[in-house]
Amino acid sequence: MSIYDQYETVIGLEIHVQLATKSKAFCSDDTTFGASPNTHVSAISLGHPGTLPRLNKKQIEYAVKLGLALGSEISLKSYFDRKNYFYTDLPKGYQITQDRLPICIGGELEVRLKDGNKKIRIHHIHMEEDAGKSIHDQDPKNTLVDLNRAGVPLLEIVSEPDLRSAEEVDAFMTGMRQLVRYLEVSDGNMQEGSMRCDVNVSVRKKGDTTLGQRCEIKNLNSMRYARKAIEFETSRQIDLIESGGKVAQETLNFNPSTGKTAPIRDKENAHDYRYFPEPDLPPVIISKAFISELEKAQPPHPLALFNQFQKKYKLSEYDANLLTEEKLTALFFIDLAQHSKNYKAISNLIINKINPYLSESNTGLNDFPISKKHLSEFIQLIDENKVSNSMAYQRLFPEMLKNGEKAPLDLAEKLNLIQSSDSDFLEQIVDEVLAKNPDKVATYKKGKKGLIGFFMGEVMRASKGKADPKKTNGLLAKKLNV
Amino acid sequence: MPKYVSHQQVQNDLKAGKISCQELVEYYLSQIEATKELNAYVEIFAEEARQKAKALDQKLKEDPDSVGRLFGVVISIKDVLCYKGHKVTAASKILNGFESLFSATGIERLLREDVIIIGRVNCDEFAMGSTCENSVYGPTKNAADPSKVPGGSSGASAVAVQIDTCLVSLGTDTGGSVRQPAAFCGVIGFKPTYGRISRYGLLAYGSSFDQIGVLSNSVEDAALFLEIMAGSDEFDATVSTKPVPKYSESLTFDKKAKIAYFDTALNGEGIDEDIRKLSFGFIEDLKKEGHTVESVNFEYLDYIIPAYYVLTTAEASSNLSRYDGIRFGHRSSDAKNIDEVYKMSRTEGFGTEVKRRIMLGTFVLSAGYYDAYYSKAQKVRRLITDRTIEILGNYDFILMPTSPIPAWEIGKMIDDPVTMYLADIFTVQANMVGIPAISLPIGKHSNGMPVGIQLMANKFEEAKLLAFSNSIC
Repeated sequence: MSIYDQYETVIGLEIHVQLATKSKAFCSDDTTFGASPNTHVSAISLGHPGTLPRLNKKQIEYAVKLGLALGSEISLKSYFDRKNYFYTDLPKGYQITQDRLPICIGGELEVRLKDGNKKIRIHHIHMEEDAGKSIHDQDPKNTLVDLNRAGVPLLEIVSEPDLRSAEEVDAFMTGMRQLVRYLEVSDGNMQEGSMRCDVNVSVRKKGDTTLGQRCEIKNLNSMRYARKAIEFETSRQIDLIESGGKVAQETLNFNPSTGKTAPIRDKENAHDYRYFPEPDLPPVIISKAFISELEKAQPPHPLALFNQFQKKYKLSEYDANLLTEEKLTALFFIDLAQHSKNYKAISNLIINKINPYLSESNTGLNDFPISKKHLSEFIQLIDENKVSNSMAYQRLFPEMLKNGEKAPLDLAEKLNLIQSSDSDFLEQIVDEVLAKNPDKVATYKKGKKGLIGFFMGEVMRASKGKADPKKTNGLLAKKLNV
Repeated sequence: MPKYVSHQQVQNDLKAGKISCQELVEYYLSQIEATKELNAYVEIFAEEARQKAKALDQKLKEDPDSVGRLFGVVISIKDVLCYKGHKVTAASKILNGFESLFSATGIERLLREDVIIIGRVNCDEFAMGSTCENSVYGPTKNAADPSKVPGGSSGASAVAVQIDTCLVSLGTDTGGSVRQPAAFCGVIGFKPTYGRISRYGLLAYGSSFDQIGVLSNSVEDAALFLEIMAGSDEFDATVSTKPVPKYSESLTFDKKAKIAYFDTALNGEGIDEDIRKLSFGFIEDLKKEGHTVESVNFEYLDYIIPAYYVLTTAEASSNLSRYDGIRFGHRSSDAKNIDEVYKMSRTEGFGTEVKRRIMLGTFVLSAGYYDAYYSKAQKVRRLITDRTIEILGNYDFILMPTSPIPAWEIGKMIDDPVTMYLADIFTVQANMVGIPAISLPIGKHSNGMPVGIQLMANKFEEAKLLAFSNSIC
């Protein structure tokens, strides 16, 4: 047993989620990502003398939405506080945050792991504002400051130290990202910084119940880095303890190019943030009616859908996972499933045809050229054996993409794809085929059952592909086994 | 030109054609010029005021009904109030050259009623001080005796009204900054309930204490200005949304008032003998008019000043963090890195008193001291508030001298900040509790300096306070 196997890693996360509100947390500045530097600013977000913050109701609504989805207790009265520190991208010299009493307390997120699900407890969720961006690598002498992001509303989700590995962190982050997207409170885009996390890592001997000394790794903006940072940090701490050292509580940065963590050198560790009540904002008062309204408006949650897709629609875990990744796709499936019981066909249609089309054309489901009605009719044509499965996908579907406004049945007729399920017609062809091949019939009857494939092929050829394979199979079996 | 003491007088003469806005503005400009040595104005908006006066004269001629309610009213504003396109510096080097992008909500509402703003007046830096000496522009002098201070921090606002350079001046009041200079200069100083007027555009000192106030020669003007400036504002989350009464139309008080005073204040140590006598004389006059004036026990008087300085400096230390030399204002030309930009810009930009209060506020919020100072002071504030509101449940008003001592010599207390802080003892209570208060002139000290009396009322009882003040003025 390796020395590393004697230890377990204990991880807690602080996830920062940028909210998808139109305006900033405390003023009306635009929040759209990617604008030219310092164009989404105003006297308020620049911290000009005499300006005051004002509440953005959407921020509160989004915080409550997420809290409800995680089963948190919603504080009917919560407060804003100031966190004081100097930095170039912090215009007021303090960040408005919630320190004393956050808006959501407790809760949990159930995540899917290889060997079963695990519930990760949430300590609390609080509202705060983002800082601007300091850019150190574009000018040889100066730091450039972009304040577009200054004041963008954030939720900070603080987990309990319930995570035990980089895989669990990955699953948790993935689950949280999926949830915020389902709730439409954030786009959860890690590349654009809409979701970032600080990771608290400690190690302890397996079986120990007390927590080891933790280190905080700041600002990990991709899952890959988070994984690497956790793995590096775990080994570093174990090595340190094994060589007789002690882990010191410190704040670390992860350097992606070296794959190592290192203490943040500035005096940030020694910061005394001098939190105190924000005198410019009244307490946030939330009514029970507001909460129950948001409760009623909760969309289905991703994990619930994932389970439902396997149980109710009998789909594989693989299909269920793909179909519930995005809320729009999942709801699209559910809509189609109301008109057809052929769930596997719907699943195949979405996974094999629609999703590839969307990613190739770089569009979304809302812009998909074929209406749900026509897609339902398409599935119905297959269900009712009017068009064979292969013809439907190979020929009819491409035609529907081109002529979204035309009904699938009309297109199938035009393409002469309607397969006949007319028993008399089919029986006639089957009889003809059998009559033409008496020797094969005799061989079949002697026991060479594999010849059924030959007869199928002949019937198909004679019917120009329109024969319903199932019925043909049935008819052939009936006539040959007399 | 007669000395006008209210907007009605001015507007009557304007409408009767006895004077014009242009003549009025020229008169005030000449008054400003003639009193330059008092150092009240830090910037005069002469051309702008002339233009506006001309336009208003024209407007009156064309359609007398189209003029606003502040037609012909000329005001000055304290250098901590934002006026779009104009400099605002809080009398500090740190805001050297800074121009505001917007107008304070209060100012905006006055402008809509055709007010003319003639200039920006001096004050203590960031409204921190009781003398108007802590200013990058030098001290302002009291017109009653130019060797004496005019009080502070809205000292120059009081002087501007005292020397008839404008009808009304806007000040701000965090611990008495409107009332104390009003008392020192013999004018009326009125601070409304906390949150009655939007703080948007008021350069913050102590956010949970700050309030715009009015310095004037008449209660009518204070009432009309409040009526226009007060009320909800989307830019201030702490402003009250209560409806705004028509203060200016309810200025008669025909009842008998029940008034409390604190014996520990009026008969305590440290109160000037003349002020004590004038105050008791005033009480006797009130009694003669049939009002009830009674001594009430207030056990927290000694705790007001310490708690106030802990809480306001804590808020100030954070409020003034934005003056960092990065985005606007003074930046040290010697700074070579980010730490130096902060340290050197702030060291060079702030004056001694501001630095003292930033350090004090930073200390009381720091880890390990927060509970002993900040938390404790908040509890004291709660006690003072509860007791004061209790008293105001039984009495219409609380009466106190505005200041325990009259205006002192310039320079006398500059090195003794604690003694100066203690001189705020009677005015700070209204800010701690958030109640409205007014200082009214009641006579002269034997040394010739004006003396004021202060009345406080319950929250949002400005109408009663102003009506009573008007009836005894």
